Amino acid sequence: MSSFGMQCLETEPELNSNVVTINVGGQIFQTTKQTLTQGGPKSLLSQLAETTSKRFVDRDPDYFSLLLSLLRSGTLPSKVKDFDLHDLIEESRFYGLESLLNNSLTNPSHFDAFALQKSLILPLNGRDSPSTIATTPSGTVHVAHGSKITSFDWSLTRKSTILTQFTAVDSLLAISPDIAAAGATDFSGLQILDLQNGSVKQVLNWENVTRSGSTVQAIGSSSEFLFTSFESGRRNSNSIMVYDLNTLNPVTEIGHNEIFGADLDSAIPATKLRWVTGYGLVMASGSHSGLSGVSGNIKFWDIRSGNVVFELKEKDDCFSDVCVSDNLNAIFKVGVNSGEVFYTDLRSLGSVSDDANDNSNPWICLGNSRKVVNGKKEGYGCKIESHGNQVFCSKGGDIELWSEVVMGSAKISEGPLKERRVFRKNLMGRVKDLGGLRITNLAFGGNRMFVIRKDQQAVEIWQGSTRGI
Amino acid sequence: MADQNSNPTIPFDRIKLNVGGKLLETTVSTLQSGGPDSLLAALSNRPLHHDSNPIFIDRDPEIFSVLLSLLRSNSLPSAALRRFSLQELTDEALYYGVESRLRSASLPSPLRGIDAALVDTIRPAAEAVPSTFSAAEDGSLWIAHGGQISLYDSYLSYSTAVRTHLDDITLICRVWPDIAAVGSESSSGLHFYDLSSGRYAGSVHWTDQADPRIYKARVSAIANSPDSLFASFDCPHRENGVLVIDKSTLQVSSELARQSGTAAKNTVAGKLTWLPATGLVIGSAVTSGAFGYSGYIRVWDPRSRQVVWETNEPGSGRSSRFGDAFADVDVDADDLTLFKICSKSGDLAMADIRSLGEDPWVYMKDTNPSLRDTSCGRNNVILHCYRGQVFVGKDGGLEVWSREKPCQQVCESQTQSLRRNYVDKVEDAERGMIKRIEGGGQRLFVSREDVEGIEVWESSNYSGAVSVSS
Repeated sequence: MSSFGMQCLETEPELNSNVVTINVGGQIFQTTKQTLTQGGPKSLLSQLAETTSKRFVDRDPDYFSLLLSLLRSGTLPSKVKDFDLHDLIEESRFYGLESLLNNSLTNPSHFDAFALQKSLILPLNGRDSPSTIATTPSGTVHVAHGSKITSFDWSLTRKSTILTQFTAVDSLLAISPDIAAAGATDFSGLQILDLQNGSVKQVLNWENVTRSGSTVQAIGSSSEFLFTSFESGRRNSNSIMVYDLNTLNPVTEIGHNEIFGADLDSAIPATKLRWVTGYGLVMASGSHSGLSGVSGNIKFWDIRSGNVVFELKEKDDCFSDVCVSDNLNAIFKVGVNSGEVFYTDLRSLGSVSDDANDNSNPWICLGNSRKVVNGKKEGYGCKIESHGNQVFCSKGGDIELWSEVVMGSAKISEGPLKERRVFRKNLMGRVKDLGGLRITNLAFGGNRMFVIRKDQQAVEIWQGSTRGI
Repeated sequence: MADQNSNPTIPFDRIKLNVGGKLLETTVSTLQSGGPDSLLAALSNRPLHHDSNPIFIDRDPEIFSVLLSLLRSNSLPSAALRRFSLQELTDEALYYGVESRLRSASLPSPLRGIDAALVDTIRPAAEAVPSTFSAAEDGSLWIAHGGQISLYDSYLSYSTAVRTHLDDITLICRVWPDIAAVGSESSSGLHFYDLSSGRYAGSVHWTDQADPRIYKARVSAIANSPDSLFASFDCPHRENGVLVIDKSTLQVSSELARQSGTAAKNTVAGKLTWLPATGLVIGSAVTSGAFGYSGYIRVWDPRSRQVVWETNEPGSGRSSRFGDAFADVDVDADDLTLFKICSKSGDLAMADIRSLGEDPWVYMKDTNPSLRDTSCGRNNVILHCYRGQVFVGKDGGLEVWSREKPCQQVCESQTQSLRRNYVDKVEDAERGMIKRIEGGGQRLFVSREDVEGIEVWESSNYSGAVSVSS
């Protein structure tokens, strides 16, 4: 019982206007109005705090006591282990406290990359392996497998599956826990799907000149906009469309390329779109594998002006995957030939690209830079994603965790970036988790990391040990 | 959330209970939501005095609190099924008279083939290789095995078994909720059993004084309608026909068709379906031999005893489909659609029963390259329509064709197409060849050749998360 409760026992409870007595299913609880209003003004308990009549709630008192602890201290008591999480969620919905519960259990600020361990497997029915995965900050996850999308709620206790028109979904982005944008490289149009009832809410199309339909190569979003990289069905033009995330009306078009000759560079559509919040730019990257090896480009677009702010052209050891970290002010890539992780500082990039004569390689290798590249594509299929202050890079069945070791922090923020920043890697997981099937996608949501692998009809959940559940 | 809780602070209908020593408080409306005939509703109708002692019920308080949660929130707490068996809960719910609420709350989710998993295998205690089975709309199951019929209720718990005089049962049909019609490949006639009492209730034989070829006729297919049974009989010399049996007297009332089964297009019907919407009976037969599949689909009007429509394969239909005769046929009686599965291409074709013509088939091609059939010559294909989906057993594999949700915007093609997906995993398919598929309630039951037990497939919104941390 809290200190407020102790106070009220000494005085006459009903005289102390701050102390509230509630009868839940026959059991008497005493708490304060402040505690009851923790769940927000719309919650049932806030309304109860205001009533003057005798307070009675016809619900199970055991669950109420858990939720009352949550209101008092912000955390669940350890006895919650004896209860079913989904029952607790159902009960919290009744009281209007689900978001509070969600926040306490899967808060993104509780994400700790060093504490992540493989803890749950979510099986998928049928024979299709997952092709892509999308998450929301609350911890909801949507998995595309074959022509289906299965959604797991934030507690990962419930799921639902819908059938789409795609034979396979290649790009998926969660707009909200119930709405997702999906596209495929062999199907025209970006579909906005209602994941609750499986219906197509809207189809967004890019009208290309050849009118040959437009396939979706990548989807990205910021808090306001939805970005989609389209390529025409004849593969002779591509573009990035910007839509308003709420109304889904087109806002602008950036990077429209029509290919007329052998201009290889413009023929490459963006296959990854990421919003860089700190710079207000969209990162668009794409690569092409040809006779002379893999080449590609990484462009940073200002959507207001529609211009490329800076661009990295990739010829030698082109990226296999690339990501950008706001927190670390850096771009990271895995080289397709070397399979090593490279970084380049975002703050120095503007100056590099201005200087036309400076054709030095902006990338700094974090691994073995003297590795002999023997023509094998060692980085093929590797994925790299940043989350929080770390960078996660998958190599085969393993995940490398790269983190920066801050050495004399003052110099980095002030002085010129001559000094090399220090990044070190760790291999994630216990010995039994190493190896395994090739990782095809990594995603983050809530305090968890989601991993899907080739030929594995399941989603792996990596999370730190949560208190209580 | 439940309506009765919309105003939780109303004090006047509060009621105190003492269940096995545990004090509980709830509302009269919650107790009455169990139904007017329940014990709890009766208790709550007793005159109330506010300061009166709680109503004492001498039962287990733990199970009662589960049932009270059910009444309060209209859903069964997930933890309840871990602490108590469904049987315990059912027994206790029967005592309080809230069994119907428990039943509706513990029903499986709507069956969706794209998201179904194997949840159980029902194995009778002895001679557990089922020869056939029948599933009911409430999800209960009759399994015929080794001449006996084992009954499983809608929770799939065993209730009783009835031994019949037959050595093996190859056909079972629910005539009335408790009356089964059974047939055997090894002995003639259609026999009726009252499964509630375990008694033999009569037999029907196909006889004809004028025709000596009609003797020892065995049953090959049955269709049920509210008034009549339609049964196809087959004689040792391949004379066959469809009889109409009056359900109230359990006697033959008329003969619908008779043919001599010398060719594939007039062998005995292996499948019969009665269509409630039109009153028509659809029969089909498929035989497979060295030259592939051949068979017929025939539609009779039982009132006029005329054949309304028929098709034979190979021989009719589109020339591009020549050599691609159907391997199995099934009828979606709710949607008035006829489905066939092509033996060579593996394509599914559908035909609208309201407009059957020369070539009514619409072929559904599989667009997913990863699902493409590599082996053409299938040994065994089984088609079963259930809840608007078409389940296909191909050897050991289980597939489903499901309808796409129509686009909310105006789409280019208005034709609704079906998409194919696997229901099972590769390892499921290795258990054995699928012999029979039947839906019942929100479940799909599957039996396999020479495999003990019947598989139960259900859809669920439980994520089924498996903990792997240690």
